[in-house]
Amino acid sequence: MKILIVEDDEDSAAFLAEGIAARGHEASVARNGRDGLLMATGEPRYDVVVVDRMLPQLDGLSLVKAMRSADVSTPALFLTNLSGIDDRVEGLEAGGDDYLVKPFAFTELMARLTALARRPVLGAEPTVLNVLDLEMDLIRRTVRRGGQPIDLQPREFQLLEFLMRSEGRVLTRSMLLEKVWDFHFDTRTNIVETHISRLRAKVDRGQAVPLIQTLRGAGYSLRAPN
Amino acid sequence: MPRTSLFRTSSFRLAAIYLALFTVSVLILGTVVYFVVWREIAGEIDADIQGETSTLAREFAAHGRDRLKAIVESRSRGGGSFVYGLEDAEGRLVAGELAAKPGELGWTSLREPERGDEADGDPSVVVRALVARLDDGGVLVVGDEWRGARGAPRTVVTAFLWALAGTLGLGTLGGLILSSQVLRRIDAMSRAARGIVAGDWRQRIPATGANDELAQLARTFNRMFDRIESLLEAHKNVGGNIAHDLRRPLARALHRLEAARGGSATPKDAELAVEAAIADIHGVLETFNAILRIGQIEAGARRAGFKPVDLAAVAREVVEAFQPAADEEGKTLVADLSAALPLSGDRELLTQMVANLIDNALRHTPRNTRIVVASAHPPGAGRLTVSDNGPGVPPAEFGRIFERFYRLDAARATPGDGLGLSLVAAIAELHGMACAASDNRPGLSIVLETPAQAGLRE
Repeated sequence: MKILIVEDDEDSAAFLAEGIAARGHEASVARNGRDGLLMATGEPRYDVVVVDRMLPQLDGLSLVKAMRSADVSTPALFLTNLSGIDDRVEGLEAGGDDYLVKPFAFTELMARLTALARRPVLGAEPTVLNVLDLEMDLIRRTVRRGGQPIDLQPREFQLLEFLMRSEGRVLTRSMLLEKVWDFHFDTRTNIVETHISRLRAKVDRGQAVPLIQTLRGAGYSLRAPN
Repeated sequence: MPRTSLFRTSSFRLAAIYLALFTVSVLILGTVVYFVVWREIAGEIDADIQGETSTLAREFAAHGRDRLKAIVESRSRGGGSFVYGLEDAEGRLVAGELAAKPGELGWTSLREPERGDEADGDPSVVVRALVARLDDGGVLVVGDEWRGARGAPRTVVTAFLWALAGTLGLGTLGGLILSSQVLRRIDAMSRAARGIVAGDWRQRIPATGANDELAQLARTFNRMFDRIESLLEAHKNVGGNIAHDLRRPLARALHRLEAARGGSATPKDAELAVEAAIADIHGVLETFNAILRIGQIEAGARRAGFKPVDLAAVAREVVEAFQPAADEEGKTLVADLSAALPLSGDRELLTQMVANLIDNALRHTPRNTRIVVASAHPPGAGRLTVSDNGPGVPPAEFGRIFERFYRLDAARATPGDGLGLSLVAAIAELHGMACAASDNRPGLSIVLETPAQAGLRE
């Protein structure tokens, strides 16, 4: 992935750039909003842009708004120090695609950036999802594994759908909480873990190849094990 | 602070202004009445003089000068209200005592000389008189001393002066009483406020039983004082609590890192220690985030984006999300949410509120606990209850469990930051909901009373 980091704090920018580079991606840094806008709208395009909310010269919200009005659809993720509850909505309204409050775990950031960069192109909406011998019919709302029907609760269906659409990618707890339950906060009770284990019991039990993977300290992923 | 002077109160000033206006209007009324009465009486007197003059003139025409002279003399002595004068053609006064001014005829004012019986001692009295010429060249003067005429307007003036004195007296007294009453109540308010300024947060403005603007103002002030007191109470120990609660994980992280740096640690140990330290520090940051979030919610900015939400529907979704986790912990989580709880609110925050309540119930109860999330419609409002049949909370602590960082001694061993229920209270308050803990016999019951929503009801 080619990632643009727009961040004025030197330490944070270096930390992000090094972390991204260490994970095999290409990172460029802009130190203020105006440079960030020039780089984001210039060629070649980046796969994803990481924008700090508070920037000199041009703040993050205005940057993304300007980017969108210049018809640049590069996915943007806001970073912020504010644990502002309204900030997420504001960010999304300005044309941002995701939102992360500092400090964050690097795995969380990478999982979200990966999800953003590989977002499916609009219009090519599949009606059936397939991963190995697992098949989900989005119209009939049915799931089969190796031809055998699996009975899922609506929420389990939603969870599996998100996992299948993100096949091979890491989904963190908070990403799942946001997408599946619309919970924009963490809970002490491990909601995700218990739902995953129920889903796993239905999808993977008795199967030679388990599909739902738990990645310790990172999250979950649906894929055939290597 | 100086006590407000009675005469400088706005109500006294108002009373004084009204008093002045009233006095002026009494004076105007008095003057008008005086002149009307005066004119009326003067008209009557003129008619009387005219009549007397005509009678005497007829006597003169019928019987001649001597007859007239006799009548004038007798009537002058008779002590009637008229005074007379009869002059011959040469202008000599032949009968009576009222002399006309030479050459003057018709209506006039004349001086009546030397009437010793005048009460006011004025030797000459002004008399309204009609001077008529007789056929023989003589002059007949008929005047009236205005005894009655002087009396009536004077009575009017006296009456009005008394009325004026009464007005002034009553007005001043009324103004004083009114303003001293207002003043007393305002003094009570400023006494309470001064007490609060001095640090006595229990000071309140005493209720008067009235329901006027001042009583409403007093109630508003009292509510403000309540709010300030509760905020102050809530914030009193927060600083100390933050320091206390955050020191522990930070100290633990420090020890772990120091141990990892020490020579005896294997690389594997060191890695684990660093991971654990990172987790500790994440926990600290989580706590900070929670504090900031509560602060933000309490600031109330979020209220602008309120939309109609059914709290019961929100609770249903949250219960569903927690169901598997509750099962796994060997607890029963039951939803009894058929009664809708429509209100104007923030869905995301309400979701977090219910989640925190269920989280709390799950965390502080043993296996086999039954947790019930129920909605109900008591008259005039809605109610959401999250209750369990766990160990409960001592009733003395009911009020305190919503305080920041407050944790029951029994709960010290379980993980948590003591902020979950504070967040619940903050979100409830933002939505105008009353939030209280009660005894579920056994167990704890948290009750949220939603405000009555006319127009949003089903």
